[in-house]
Amino acid sequence: MKVLLTSQGDIQVLELSGELDYHSSPDLREKLTELTAKQAPKILVNLAGVDYMDSSGIATFVEAFQKSKRYQGRLILAALTPTVRGVFEIAKLDSIFEIAATVAEAVDSLGAKI
Amino acid sequence: MEKRFELNASSEVLSPFRKELRHILTQAGWEKKTTEEILLAVDEALTNIIRHAYQGKPGKMTISVVATDDKIEIVLEDLGQKFDPTQVPPPELPRHKPGGLGVHFIRTIMDQMIYDDQGLAGNRLRLIKHKKKI
Repeated sequence: MKVLLTSQGDIQVLELSGELDYHSSPDLREKLTELTAKQAPKILVNLAGVDYMDSSGIATFVEAFQKSKRYQGRLILAALTPTVRGVFEIAKLDSIFEIAATVAEAVDSLGAKI
Repeated sequence: MEKRFELNASSEVLSPFRKELRHILTQAGWEKKTTEEILLAVDEALTNIIRHAYQGKPGKMTISVVATDDKIEIVLEDLGQKFDPTQVPPPELPRHKPGGLGVHFIRTIMDQMIYDDQGLAGNRLRLIKHKKKI
């Protein structure tokens, strides 16, 4: 899996591609931990390129989501593929996370300040 | 169709194995959505062997896949510490803490999850899913 960190105004954008499983999730966890440790106020995770995700991927997002909530930060997951959305639905987590259909919708919702 | 795999209990093997299993399921006529779900269930069971049975230490995992016209049966064996996923209580959903979803995924996706360690130093888990009749 590849993890690319960019920024759009005050939004930290993590673009993921490949498969998110027990092997690759530590890389993502490291990046998300860096962002939540410095209390990044707005985190957008672009999942358009992720074609597989298991429970360790879910656990990584739950952990980051909880950390961001503690400092009133926002974490939005955007552009989920049908397979990845299905995993969130089985975990009944699609109602807990902020999920945007597209990256543009997520940016609108977060309101980028440049 | 019957196929047997012997893998090292290491997270690197998960992705290549999913590729093999995806091919078997596609050849056996499973639709894409169900194929991806079965891959997830088997992946979670393998991850449990790596994490709980072997606790990250080296070991072997043996996987037998039998695909017939009406069902798929996957049998996972290891020689690690005893770990019976059928005894893991169902999680409260939605879960607000990380972790604890792997066995829930297996239960939700597969029709049967049967644990049987008779005559084995380690564990044997049978995962079965029937094709829906149209």
